[in-house]
Amino acid sequence: MSGKDRNGTRRMVAGGTLAVIALVSLYGVFFPNSTVGKVFWTAIDQGTIESSLRLAVPIALTAIGGLYAEKSGVINIGLEGLLIISAFVSVLVTDQLGAGQTTGVPPVVTWDLGSRAYTIDPGLQFVIPNIWIGLLSGVVASMLLALLFGVICIRYEADQIIAGLAVWLLALGLAPFVAQVVYGRVSTENVGTLDTWSIPLLSKIPYVGPILFDANPTVIIMLISVPAAWYGLNRTSFGYWVRASGENPKALDTVGINVDRVRYAAVLVSGFFAGIGGTALSLGFQGSFDGGGPTMVDGRGFIAIAAYLFGNYNPFGAFAASYLFSGLQAVQIRLQGQGVAPTEIFLMAPYIVVVIVLVLVGRTRLPEAAGEHYESGED
Amino acid sequence: MSRLRDVLERLVGASGAERAVISIAALVLSILVGAVIVFVSGLGAACDAGANYHLAIPLPGSFEILLFDGRLSLFGYKSCYDPINVYAKLFVGAIGGLPWESGWQPTNLSMEVLLRRMTLLLFAGLSVAVSFRAGLFNIGTQGQMVWGALVSAVTVLFVADFAPAGLAGTVILLPLALFSGAVAGGIWGAIPGALKAYADANEVITTIMLNFVASFGATLMIKLFFQDPEYSNIGTRRIPVNSLVPSLPMGFQGTRSSILALIFALLFAFIVYFVLWGTSFGFDVRTSGLQPEAATYAGVNAERTIVRSMTISGALGGIAGALWVLLSTGRMLSGGDVAGGSLGFDGITVSVLAGNNPIGVIFGSALFGVLKSGRNAVNFQTDVPPELVEVLPGLIILFVAMPEFFRMIGKRIGLDSGQGSNVRTDGGEDDE
Repeated sequence: MSGKDRNGTRRMVAGGTLAVIALVSLYGVFFPNSTVGKVFWTAIDQGTIESSLRLAVPIALTAIGGLYAEKSGVINIGLEGLLIISAFVSVLVTDQLGAGQTTGVPPVVTWDLGSRAYTIDPGLQFVIPNIWIGLLSGVVASMLLALLFGVICIRYEADQIIAGLAVWLLALGLAPFVAQVVYGRVSTENVGTLDTWSIPLLSKIPYVGPILFDANPTVIIMLISVPAAWYGLNRTSFGYWVRASGENPKALDTVGINVDRVRYAAVLVSGFFAGIGGTALSLGFQGSFDGGGPTMVDGRGFIAIAAYLFGNYNPFGAFAASYLFSGLQAVQIRLQGQGVAPTEIFLMAPYIVVVIVLVLVGRTRLPEAAGEHYESGED
Repeated sequence: MSRLRDVLERLVGASGAERAVISIAALVLSILVGAVIVFVSGLGAACDAGANYHLAIPLPGSFEILLFDGRLSLFGYKSCYDPINVYAKLFVGAIGGLPWESGWQPTNLSMEVLLRRMTLLLFAGLSVAVSFRAGLFNIGTQGQMVWGALVSAVTVLFVADFAPAGLAGTVILLPLALFSGAVAGGIWGAIPGALKAYADANEVITTIMLNFVASFGATLMIKLFFQDPEYSNIGTRRIPVNSLVPSLPMGFQGTRSSILALIFALLFAFIVYFVLWGTSFGFDVRTSGLQPEAATYAGVNAERTIVRSMTISGALGGIAGALWVLLSTGRMLSGGDVAGGSLGFDGITVSVLAGNNPIGVIFGSALFGVLKSGRNAVNFQTDVPPELVEVLPGLIILFVAMPEFFRMIGKRIGLDSGQGSNVRTDGGEDDE
């Protein structure tokens, strides 16, 4: 196919987008009282950037996970379901353990086996806030569902799109059902949110400091994950296997690497990142799970897919695209009260942008073997 | 495009009998897994004594053959929910009780809900089936329904002032309502079709995004132009009574349901079947679904076929939306409220379960009509949250998605007929 042309188009589109943003910004700088000016000055406001970053977390992390899976040759349409399940489970576990409390190993552990007693005194005690155990549970739940998806697709050779839809619909049904069993309604109690992390010294830097270094932990996790994911994909042998598994599984098999295992690992990576994304949404941001309608996840899993497609499977690109969507959303929330336009227009905007982006970028060059099953020659 | 071909070969290429077996097996398995979910969640729910399991085969009159009566426990934990009872209530409640019980009438409320749901699901399922046949994953039926419902309601409201009263008005308004719904849904379906054909935009993502746009967009339109000032929620004025589908020949009492509408829907299932298997357009659709390269080589205009199939798919979704207004609410509510916001997605399950076969969709929609109608019985007659019903579609699709799983089971229990291996390579359908 014309992969080069497509990349050229993408570069033009990305460049064009930047140019338009720059031009509009310039206009905004000189005419602060126009609508464009209002949007611009709102967009670069410290508070807006803070909330843009926060809103970008679920999308960007999920996008990073999704691009790993797709690079390995498994298209994970079920990301939305992973977000739902992790957002729900994390709140459920936090609430069941006792929100706002901590769980820890008692300082002295004694096993009494009747005839002999073993005592361990570690000298120091680890106390973990329940909210972090909740976060971990959410991530584990997401990874388990991803594993189920992986088994269906890889072991049982199911169609990936259909299996992805199943994962989505399953989570969409299961989370409100369990919430109904436990709470008697489709939403959960409020369990509070993660405390912000403040990094000493760095958080004192004006403007940038409070945004980056005095932030929600999930934002900091995202800021670390983006370069780490890039490094993992492009500079490690695991990343090389992932890319080879999507492009040329036969070659990978020939050099003795188990293609299926690489794909399972990549799918689990997508479950891991989507898991953090989902918990960021509930524990990091809202403090509860809202299961009404399309749930609080509200299509972010699908926006994430669009984000990594737009970002050309590059974690940095995926992050930039996620920030574009979330920034739009943040500006929308800010301007909602000012009567600039009806609420629904703002609510629609991110989804319309996704469609426009997909049209401009056209079909992304999928990895050669994406969506195809690979059977090792051994059987 | 070989990815799509593989998909369709697996979904479509399997022989009809095997497909039916897989669908039924998937259904049974998801009901079993659903039962486990009910049982396990019952362990966590709070109750005094645990559920009493009363397992019996009912006989006419008040007789029954008793199989089991008592309580079950797992590691000392008692489950508060009885899955068997839940399913009994779900399926029996769906038709409003057992037909031989005294006082049972074919026009009871549950039957009404069942038939209405089935009618709507038939169109939603057909909408998805047409696109899937063409190798296109239209997840956007929900959005197409939203525009179908809005435009249909608004058109009727405008024309009603000039239309004659009574039956004469019905003859004009009803077809108009359905037609305008179909046009609106068709246009909304054509958009992702055109984007796919001419800009290579992935239709899975665009249709899902357009669902959100439709939902917010329709709400905005109502707020700006069509809001009923006397209605406290977001919604248009009521459409006149004579534009609704007459509930003939059976008179349902409560809200509206109609055998006429169901017959109309059944008719459409056969029309869609005929179009797909009896016309050259249908041949184009199916071949481009199965083997896009071969279809193009054989002179099928790929782009045009994509746009046309998506338009037809959208139009069927639009009719579902129009019928929702005509049968259910009598007015357009906000975009998120259209048919509970999930009918379009249930259409996906129905179509997948039916192997994307229009005739199969009839059975799939009947089953889902039962689930929706029985939901009320589960709600009122058991302690189990009726949201259980929402879990089943995901499970069903999950199991239908892995035919390989059932083939392996089949081999293990010695049912291997030897045809399992060649299903994928024949590339065609059983009737060609």
